[in-house]
Amino acid sequence: MPAKNHKQWKVPAFEQGDYVDSRIYSDQAIFDEEMEKIFKQVWIPVCHESEVPEAYDFRTTSIAKEPIIVVRGPDNEVRAFLNVCPHRGMRLERRTAGNFIEGQPSGNPKHMTCMFHAWQFDMKGNCVDIPRAKEGYQERLTKEDVGLRRLRCEVRFGGFIWVTLNDKVEQKLETWADGAFECIRSAIDTEPLEVFHYHKAIIDSNYKLWHDTNSEFYHDYMHYHNRVTGFNDEYFARTNKGFKNGHVNVNSFTVQYGEFELGESREDLSFPGFPPNQWYMIDLFPGMNFNLRGSALRCDIVTPLGPNQVMIEFRGLGLKSDSEKDRQTRIEHHNSIWGPFGRNLHEDLLGITGQGASMQTGSEPRRILHGRHENNLIHDEVGMRHFYTEWSKWMGRNPSDPMNEQNESLKGMAAE
Amino acid sequence: MDAKKAAVVAAVTDTVYRACLYLDEGNWEEFLNLCDKSMLYSIKAYSPEIRKHMIYLSHNKKELGSLTEMLPKLNSDHSPLRRHASIYTVDVSDDKKTATAVTSLAVYMNMHDGINSHIDSGETRLFLVGRYFDKFKISGDNASIIEREVRLDTRRLDKGTHLLI
Ligand code: FES
Ligand SMILES: [Fe+2]
Repeated sequence: MPAKNHKQWKVPAFEQGDYVDSRIYSDQAIFDEEMEKIFKQVWIPVCHESEVPEAYDFRTTSIAKEPIIVVRGPDNEVRAFLNVCPHRGMRLERRTAGNFIEGQPSGNPKHMTCMFHAWQFDMKGNCVDIPRAKEGYQERLTKEDVGLRRLRCEVRFGGFIWVTLNDKVEQKLETWADGAFECIRSAIDTEPLEVFHYHKAIIDSNYKLWHDTNSEFYHDYMHYHNRVTGFNDEYFARTNKGFKNGHVNVNSFTVQYGEFELGESREDLSFPGFPPNQWYMIDLFPGMNFNLRGSALRCDIVTPLGPNQVMIEFRGLGLKSDSEKDRQTRIEHHNSIWGPFGRNLHEDLLGITGQGASMQTGSEPRRILHGRHENNLIHDEVGMRHFYTEWSKWMGRNPSDPMNEQNESLKGMAAE
Repeated sequence: MDAKKAAVVAAVTDTVYRACLYLDEGNWEEFLNLCDKSMLYSIKAYSPEIRKHMIYLSHNKKELGSLTEMLPKLNSDHSPLRRHASIYTVDVSDDKKTATAVTSLAVYMNMHDGINSHIDSGETRLFLVGRYFDKFKISGDNASIIEREVRLDTRRLDKGTHLLI
């Protein structure tokens, strides 16, 4: 059938699950629900331990619009708190990163100080000073009664710092990941890693569209580089593997960098126990990606800003022990493909930008097809289907029929 | 300023602004003609987020050649970039054989097909700001670039670009 009208377009040729309704990418109510039901409930990586290497180092981020601060205490422990002052709700620390050894204008060294009325906190989140407390609060409130809101925090999987806003989170991070990291475990956990690259993108598109792109390899047709270095028997034998909780990984193959004009084989430089020129991809629910390609580890962290807007933070990592020369090589490899001026990242971001432009809030509901079945092989869209099965559990909505109206409309069509 | 030094400053100024025009036009070949064969190009930025100096791109002249020749094979945002550059300083070596220049740079994007062309084509957005730190080899009245470091202030680069800055 050639072009279709809206109703014909919607007639199911696929089973539910082989498509999703475009409104899951554009509806404000669904977005608000995702923040409450998913992002405030699960483990989210917020930064890397190498961003807070010394005692009193801090880094600020956010999850689901809640400001977060991560600090390394003098006991070397990394802790996370809401970055919110318990007095009148000021954002406690305004910088993106830094160190508390030096005092801020309102406070003392080695303390977190709220600039507003100078309440001070130690690295464990205890309130240690309230100016003129007795005069104002008498016995009704003392510094012992207030403190920062502590968040559960784990350092794991290559030294990433993970936080959850859910005090009652049911699973430890290790259980939550369900083995999705095992394929690169020795590569990232044998010795400490270090971040060498950071940049961010804010794109008018839904965060899941970015995760979808990271979860399907069919779009390698878009990347000239991947077509010429990748499309061989070994590539087409790569498989998608699903894990509990909606995570997926894609196993490795040998990238033929020699096929590319700029060469740049990564044979000489890899990660501990990781064969050269290999490429593993881990997609973690609800939208984080870890991508180990030969000499560089890339990590994408999404911060959804609205149904049609997402911030993506891109990091590149190597080994902390890298020689200057090795580090330079890793940086070059990372940036030639994944940097803001690299070949692939720009194309990937153009892809979801185009989707975002066609799926704005209120646009005609459409089917977005996830229905390629190829025995879980590389171009099978099972990664996305696996994600949406999990999404459906958390949301109590069917992604193919998120407004629960399909049965109604089918009835309507039968009557016509 | 002695006449010889003034001539070097003029040559450097000419190369920097001519390079801007060629880069604006996407005339990579002519831009590369302004560069010595030993030329090194990099885009760098300091990240207060990770508190590290970063390299976003680094290539030699040959690699820049392959990179720009490859552009038609890539899917790109075709919104042209336009520079506004002001040379702040030119320093000439005592022997007048080399020079360095610092140029302030703003790069605008003239929206074409990158987001939603029906709505935003024709609009101009600020894409990035930074500086060129250039080194030159002087021969006669000609200044060729032997090193260009683009030092960015902007780190939120959204879709990024395939084009040279
Ligand atoms: S709001 Fe923080 S001290 Fe008042
Ligand atoms: Fe891609």
